[in-house]
Amino acid sequence: MFSFLHMASFTMKIHCFQRNFSFSSSALVPVQLPSRMETHFWYILPDEVKSATLLNQYLDILSPCEKENVLRMHGDNLKKSALLARALVRTTIARYQINSQVSPTSLKFRKNIYGKPEVDWQNHYDRNPPPLHFNISHTSSLIACGVTLDSPIGIDVEEKQRTTKNNILSFARRYFSPHEVESLSIISDPEIQRLEFLKLWTLKEAYVKALGRGFSAAPFKNFTIRFRAATKGHLHLSGNSNSKASEIIVESSDDPKTLTSNWQFALLELTGSHYAAICKEKDDDTVEGKGSVPMKLTVRKTIPFVEDQCISGKDALVLVGGL
Amino acid sequence: MAAFAGTFVSVQPRPRLLRQSLATTSISSLKSLSFSNRGGRLTSQHLPLRLRVSCAAKPETVEKVCAIVKKQLALPEDSAITGESKFAALGADSLDTVEIVMGLEEEFGINVEEESAQSIATVQDAADLIEKLIEKKDA
Repeated sequence: MFSFLHMASFTMKIHCFQRNFSFSSSALVPVQLPSRMETHFWYILPDEVKSATLLNQYLDILSPCEKENVLRMHGDNLKKSALLARALVRTTIARYQINSQVSPTSLKFRKNIYGKPEVDWQNHYDRNPPPLHFNISHTSSLIACGVTLDSPIGIDVEEKQRTTKNNILSFARRYFSPHEVESLSIISDPEIQRLEFLKLWTLKEAYVKALGRGFSAAPFKNFTIRFRAATKGHLHLSGNSNSKASEIIVESSDDPKTLTSNWQFALLELTGSHYAAICKEKDDDTVEGKGSVPMKLTVRKTIPFVEDQCISGKDALVLVGGL
Repeated sequence: MAAFAGTFVSVQPRPRLLRQSLATTSISSLKSLSFSNRGGRLTSQHLPLRLRVSCAAKPETVEKVCAIVKKQLALPEDSAITGESKFAALGADSLDTVEIVMGLEEEFGINVEEESAQSIATVQDAADLIEKLIEKKDA
């Protein structure tokens, strides 16, 4: 296995935020499917997972192909985060208890014609599989999985400390839309500029991943992500003095007058260290001229088989896009 | 953030077998030939019909790509990176991949379209694409 692992004892922390569940040390705590308006956002911090036994447990639920891919990663840290990413997806989806035959190990995955991963329910359903969508993203220090019902979703996470090798404006001129370049170039403080750049990057990535047609189907230059004042005061902000009451919108450069209004976004700051962008398609009922609708978001930190924690308030600060 | 474990944007699954075996055979047979023009690079017109694929890129190009990748991903100088190395396996996420492409564009004076960038999975893919674009530029 991973040669770097040594047997460390891990304490089992039991945080039970849902009164009706009894906690079993080796079972996954089941969760109800999100409603159509909801997004579930699960994340794991690799640094919190140290036990060799636990990592082996995760390895056991992977498919042979996934195991091969994990072991092909260069170096122990990359192997570990590849492993945790697959374990997170499998355990998360299995929690939704859609069908008693679904377990983390029995789940099958496939890619759509553009290469976007999706659940392959063939083993468990003859027809009408549950319209569960997911998308994952990881950095070395945080791995996340977003889940929705009946709506394409894309997520992207990035460390706030992330720097670019290229100059930010050069990079933006090459890849971002003119409007976005302008919005970055008027920021005089390089640190703030860098953070705004990362926010734009994660939002753009999340959008492209939600579209699910690959990078080339929605070239970054051809759409603009913008922040604008919210239409109504329905935003719930967790006391961040920097955030303005605003929402995120995407505009296509091909037809600037048309807002691509069927996509909604949220931007989070997780544990003060990461930005997470979420993009999902709006529920049909909310698309038509009702103004912006807040995304109903449930954020959970997890160590599968060990601990789940509902996150709110200062640990998952919603920067833009209300709860 | 790579194909299944993370973002999917940088990698498209493709049959690799044919390419790999041709790459190894074509390199070994090229080294012993010399051409009066084009500095030793074969184009598909010079090959018999049944081998109409573009040849693998020059080793120097592969080396330059490796150097740019190592720099972007902050890998130690002695990292074992070869043409076969997959970007995803090296830990390149989508931002890294885009920065690498930008670095390659600057280094080689080319412009990489998003569609092409998406199909780059290995260092060799990048080197091959670079040479193809250089050739198109010089043509």
